Amino acid sequence: MSVGVNGVPALKIEKLRKTYSNGFLALDGVSLEVEAGKFFGLLGPNGAGKTTLINGVVSLARPDSGSVEVFGRDAFREFREARRMIGVSPQEVNLDKFLTVEETLLFHAGYYGVPKKKARERAEELLERFELTGKRGQRTNTLSGGMKRRVLFARALIHNPKVLFLDEPTAGVDVELRYKLWGYIRELNRGGMTILLTTHYLEEAEALCDEIALINGGTIAAQGGSEDLKERYEARNVEEVYMKVIGHDLHG
Amino acid sequence: MIFTDRTFQTLLSREILRFTRVWMQTIVPQLLTSLLYLVVFGIALGGRIKQIEGIPYLEYILPGIALMSLITNSQMNSSWSVFDAKRERYIDEVLISPMSDLQITFAYSLGGMLRGVVMGAGVFVVGVPFVGVQIENPLVLLVIGLLASFAFSSLGTMVGALATRVEHISLITSVIIQPLAFLGGVFYSVGMLPDVLKVVTFFNPIFYTVDAARYATLGVSDLNPYPTLGMVCLIAAICFGGAWWAISHGPNLRY
Repeated sequence: MSVGVNGVPALKIEKLRKTYSNGFLALDGVSLEVEAGKFFGLLGPNGAGKTTLINGVVSLARPDSGSVEVFGRDAFREFREARRMIGVSPQEVNLDKFLTVEETLLFHAGYYGVPKKKARERAEELLERFELTGKRGQRTNTLSGGMKRRVLFARALIHNPKVLFLDEPTAGVDVELRYKLWGYIRELNRGGMTILLTTHYLEEAEALCDEIALINGGTIAAQGGSEDLKERYEARNVEEVYMKVIGHDLHG
Repeated sequence: MIFTDRTFQTLLSREILRFTRVWMQTIVPQLLTSLLYLVVFGIALGGRIKQIEGIPYLEYILPGIALMSLITNSQMNSSWSVFDAKRERYIDEVLISPMSDLQITFAYSLGGMLRGVVMGAGVFVVGVPFVGVQIENPLVLLVIGLLASFAFSSLGTMVGALATRVEHISLITSVIIQPLAFLGGVFYSVGMLPDVLKVVTFFNPIFYTVDAARYATLGVSDLNPYPTLGMVCLIAAICFGGAWWAISHGPNLRY
């Protein structure tokens, strides 16, 4: 009998540990499994290890130990296959200043090995979707903050990833774009894309995510569906859960 | 495959786009500087030196000036490209893509190499009719041009990957590369130097590339050209190894 894709988690992180060169322990043996197709929220205070966790999966941070699998592919030994399945919209804007909006998308697609014709089609679609068509020929360093964000989202999606990492995607984004963005991300999620979201907006996480993990001090402090978490911590909303879990740790 | 992979080819084409898009900054001024060297040194010094090893002075300095431009441009191109990408963090886009560190190193280094070759060729294209010289051995000249620009572009990749501040880049260019280029036998034959300086010159990698280019262009050189080519290969290999190491281990890249 052949083994199907069903049941293979989108992301399987085991005992991931990362110490920075200044001695700061950012990840203290984190284990986390994200089921395929889930809308997964990773919440925690600044410096809790959210971004390091994402960076550890895509080898931007080099973990001291532990293992990461993306749809069953080892993120280090089979990095090509693993990374091709991941799209990242980073917290900080990092657009190539030499390129125009359209080139940003086309070059990114190329870095992920997407054939030219396919890349052009996808770029059209995403330029339209993020209302960037009028800005396609403009260099990215001349765009406004909100426009840069849109390009980041489109860039993360151009190679059609199976799992999308959104690292604080709505920080500094106006209400309208935020609303549109969530509509689109939900649509992608319904279409089967796994989403890993880190955010400070707890209501946002509660409204969007099937499952939430709270990370603090480099370890997972709590994990579950929002209903399940609320019940477990006798809380009315995720914010209360957060305060109980993280606040408890903060006060020792 | 390293080179047939579309991921690699895309980064290389991005590197080419980078220097061709701003050609008024990356190509024109440097070409003018080289031609100024040719005019000023050739005419001012040429009046006094006349000939070296039976070659008119203006002809004698042409290959060296081309190589000097080729080397400094290759090195600056990849240094700045990598450093800018790192400073503004868009290198992350490349680092998290399915490209290997080896492919990334090749793409940046070959991009810089092409800029260097364009500059070196530019000096020849403008300089040859002006000086009136016939290139003795074009194939060897091409090989030495490619090797030298690859070596120094790799060095540039390494410098860009290791630098943590803008000053590091300008320091390497103005304190190391440019003096070495000037002292690399572009304007004189080592035979004309006192013994101490002769020995020092043999530790200057640029000297080997200039000497080999002079052999290819004019048929005269200070050293036997083929071991010199070997030496340049060795320099290129060391520089590229360093660049590869720096891309995978440099500060603020993968932390």
